[in-house]
Amino acid sequence: MVLRVSDAHKSYGGTPALQGASWSVQRGEWLALLGPNGAGKTTSVRAVAGRVRLDRGSVELLGRDLQGPGAADARRKLGVVPQNLAVYPDLTARENLLAFGQHNGLTGRPLHTRVDWALEWTGLADRAGELVQGYSGGMQRRLNLACGVLHEPEVILLDEPTVGVDPQSRERIWEMLAGLQRDGASLVLTTHQLDEAQSVCDRIVIIDHGRDIASGTLAELIRDTVGPARTVRLTLDRPPDDPDRLAGVTCEGRTVHSTLDNVADELQDLLARVAASGATVADLHVEAPTLHAVFLHLTGRELRE
Amino acid sequence: MMRTILWVNWLRLKRDRVALGLTFVLPIIFFSIFAMIFGGMGRGGGSGPGPARRTRVAVVDEDRTDISRRMIQALAAQESLEIRTRALQIEGQPPAEPYTVEEARQLVRTQTRYPVAVVIPEGFGDSFANFAAPGEPITLLYDTANPIAYQMVAGLLQAAAMQAAPDILLERGVGTLEAFGGLLTDAQKGVIDRLKTMLVPTPGTNGPDGNGDDESIFGGVTGLVRVDTVDVRADEAGGDEQGPQRSLVAYYAAGIGVMFLLFSMTGAGGSLLDEEERGTLDRVLSSDISMTRLLLGNWIFFAVVGMLQIGIMFVWGAAVFGLALWQPNQLSGSILMTVVTALSASAFGIVLATLCTSRAQLGGLSTIIILIMSALGGSMVPRFVMPAFMDTTARFTFNGWALDGYLKVFWYNDPDAGVLRSLAALAPEVGVLLAMTVVFLLAARAFARRWETA
Repeated sequence: MVLRVSDAHKSYGGTPALQGASWSVQRGEWLALLGPNGAGKTTSVRAVAGRVRLDRGSVELLGRDLQGPGAADARRKLGVVPQNLAVYPDLTARENLLAFGQHNGLTGRPLHTRVDWALEWTGLADRAGELVQGYSGGMQRRLNLACGVLHEPEVILLDEPTVGVDPQSRERIWEMLAGLQRDGASLVLTTHQLDEAQSVCDRIVIIDHGRDIASGTLAELIRDTVGPARTVRLTLDRPPDDPDRLAGVTCEGRTVHSTLDNVADELQDLLARVAASGATVADLHVEAPTLHAVFLHLTGRELRE
Repeated sequence: MMRTILWVNWLRLKRDRVALGLTFVLPIIFFSIFAMIFGGMGRGGGSGPGPARRTRVAVVDEDRTDISRRMIQALAAQESLEIRTRALQIEGQPPAEPYTVEEARQLVRTQTRYPVAVVIPEGFGDSFANFAAPGEPITLLYDTANPIAYQMVAGLLQAAAMQAAPDILLERGVGTLEAFGGLLTDAQKGVIDRLKTMLVPTPGTNGPDGNGDDESIFGGVTGLVRVDTVDVRADEAGGDEQGPQRSLVAYYAAGIGVMFLLFSMTGAGGSLLDEEERGTLDRVLSSDISMTRLLLGNWIFFAVVGMLQIGIMFVWGAAVFGLALWQPNQLSGSILMTVVTALSASAFGIVLATLCTSRAQLGGLSTIIILIMSALGGSMVPRFVMPAFMDTTARFTFNGWALDGYLKVFWYNDPDAGVLRSLAALAPEVGVLLAMTVVFLLAARAFARRWETA
């Protein structure tokens, strides 16, 4: 366990933000920390980053307490990549990297070596001497990321690292993060991009009302919430002549919906029943349960703000 | 549509207290300050919020005749003058000796409160009103630092001469008339004698009609007594006919320099708010940097920028306007004052930035505070033209102390004093500015807690 948040409590002026949230990250793991707006995930992450002092509970990084004395020293193993483009627009990429590298304790040759690495890693080496304010959004995002990992942290907090960038830049950023994980870093990702979290993360923690309400791999969450059944949607060439043949299946005009626990075994029977009804299948979609479905199942469809 | 626009604008204005203050309160404050300054001058302080400044004048009586004594009494009767012929008596000590010419010259050269000294020469009484054979003139020793005071005193000397001895003026005027136009008849002499009796000043009266407020009538009379004016700094290194202009350059270099230093320092302090908005402040505070180190780093950097700002301005003033910067006393004093003033102004900028929550708020608040302090402290209008009580209000402003220090360096520096003595004279101003620095930094650290761990 490289990072552990236990029984975290925090209130702002009597309004609770965290009410006992607990979660942890294994070494080399990529964890998604998900939740609706105001659920408490940002407060959790800020507590880890040292920007929020908990009313109760603890935060441990590599076995060291992050809420007590000596936390600043312990936090050197932590990298923070904020959602804001927290770089200086009137500095060049190299100058930004040098500044944040020094803020995080790098000096001398190691600093310059890491800055050169970061410029290559982000694909900004050719434009390292240009002011950041002239960069595209994707380039600024990559620089923002590099400034947080320059000092080779063992645990990296990522707050919406791909927000506001085009698909190509997004793809590049995920590749960069996957590379960090391969090199041994543990990642904590907070995002509202559930499809991306589903595809890149090893494990998921869902927080709501200041508490962790579910955690596990995607398969575990699906099993424990919406179940593994697939949704099959058929589009017919015409409405069925004999709808009675499709009893137990939702049929609306030319569209048929059904939930199948075992697609391999049950799909053939469904198609036979459609044929018997006098219609022909024009199109067929099989949908696996998604993180999106799990998320809505756990947190509801009510607007939070 | 128009009503909605007006309504929305009103809502936004009334919720923005700084904008509200800028719109309504600042003009009133400024109007009041300038009304106090110029109202006090124009009405002689009688109807203003306090008395007008009385110009303190050292008088040296080398003549020691009845006429010279009457002249001094007439000067003392002028409401706008405070006459001193000797140092104040210390309790339990014998009275001080009357001022000598050299003592009077030193007073004018080194003390702000004595912009002028009057020397009545020996033989003045004998030659008084002798238009055929005028004697030695009265000498007016003045400091170019205050270009108004000596001109006022020169005018009041003429009024005093008229008020001091109208009977003698008449007698000697008639004597001159007889010398050139023939003797008077007995009847004419009888009228003149009766008139002289009426003109002899009696105790408790100040002039021919016993009314001391006739300055305006007699102030316009010129040439009754001859007056020589002497610039006490004329013999100093670099002294020449450009003295008065150069002194005003020194005044405004210091005054404007301090005011704009404050503006630039609060602007620089605002970079903390920019960093907060951009998120870099949060990021920096998540790293190894503590809030105290962050503030100290910014404070030192801004102070260095401020030192450069003032330094460059003084060098420009010396190169283009002849500011006396390169004398050892002035150079060492200006370096000390610039270092201390910039350190303090930088701390001032940081404390305002930590107090405000946005750039807009900082801009509004700093403009109000700096303009008020500049007006009261003398950065805009020279303090010697302000009513006396404003010397006290200036003591509560940053500008007042900084300006006092610079004026000691550029105006009231005794050229005979060494560098160390000149620097020692700056101790009060340096001490107060350093104390302000400490207070500003402690306050900034306290206000900055909002940026620390929530």
